[in-house]
Amino acid sequence: MLRGLGGDGAAHGQLLRALVPVLRGFYRRRMAGRDDDIEDLLQETLIAVHERRASYDVTRPFTSWLFAVARYKMIDHFRKSGRTCAIDGLEDILEAEGFTKASDAAADIDRLLDTIPPKQAAAIRAIRLEGLSTAEAASQLKLGESDIKVSVHRGLKALASKVRDSLK
Amino acid sequence: MKTEDLIDALSADVAPVPRYALSRRLLGGLVLGGAVTLLAVAGFLGFRPDLWLAMHGAMFWIKWFYTGSLALCASLATARLGRPDAGAAGWLWIACVPVVGLMIISIQELASVPSSQWLGMWLGASWKVCSKNVFLLSVPIFAGLLWSFRRLAPTRLRLAGATAGLTAGAWGATLYCLHCPESSAVFVLTWYSLGIALAALVGAMLGPRLMRW
Repeated sequence: MLRGLGGDGAAHGQLLRALVPVLRGFYRRRMAGRDDDIEDLLQETLIAVHERRASYDVTRPFTSWLFAVARYKMIDHFRKSGRTCAIDGLEDILEAEGFTKASDAAADIDRLLDTIPPKQAAAIRAIRLEGLSTAEAASQLKLGESDIKVSVHRGLKALASKVRDSLK
Repeated sequence: MKTEDLIDALSADVAPVPRYALSRRLLGGLVLGGAVTLLAVAGFLGFRPDLWLAMHGAMFWIKWFYTGSLALCASLATARLGRPDAGAAGWLWIACVPVVGLMIISIQELASVPSSQWLGMWLGASWKVCSKNVFLLSVPIFAGLLWSFRRLAPTRLRLAGATAGLTAGAWGATLYCLHCPESSAVFVLTWYSLGIALAALVGAMLGPRLMRW
């Protein structure tokens, strides 16, 4: 660093090169799993180290200066990315939200179906939730087709009255 | 861009950084801004006609000592905040000493005259414009400091902005002394300090926006 401050370009390059693994480690520890961001940040920090090198006091430890710059750059990065949410992550977020909604709904349905006779519950699952035809459901559950139809009908009626009761 | 290329590009232009680069840079900004302010005092306001006479009196020097010591403390604090790993700005606490000192002088001054004159001393002849002038005169100096900060690395932007504003305000007030004919301590304590505080406040508001890097 000192020779770089003296105007020695090669020494300055050497310093920057030596900083790469240090900074990468610094950011990895703090921002795990965001490798693209880390590379951006690394380059920004190198530029800052270069441009703002006049603010380094040669009588003080270099690392404390370096990490202060790195920390500032990280906070600045968070501030920027906090304002503009990256759009490529959006699908994952939406999917995750859909999953919670679906799993909540599934838990509700499971709880309700537990309250009606198992034969009716099985019939409703097969026809209404899994979307099988009456014939497929009949062969899967080893019941008559009309039995399935009646079970679904009665089951839904029972569920409806339970929901109505719970809403009262 | 590959990191390797970036490093090559950066190390291609390495101007030597002198030993006291930060202080020089800040001084440069201060002197540039100060020169503009001095011209503004000379051009728009004019020096007080009795400047040579006033320099023989104590009050002129009390005023100058007050604003000058504030300016010096604030400048040193600014220099520390220009570094990213700056500690707490101890110089800002030392800056309280001249304020307290002037308060004591003001109280003595008020105690020595009948209370019917207090209002006149407090308002002087120019209380309506004094704070405004101090604030306006601080603007060029603040701009100079902002230029200095473009090569520095402040990490506490609000504090750095406030301190830069304080520095600019105090230097602006110091130069304003060359114009202002008021000669009561309580006047200086109120209206000068108000202008300086206003500059510091604006600095604190602008710091996070203009000093980002």
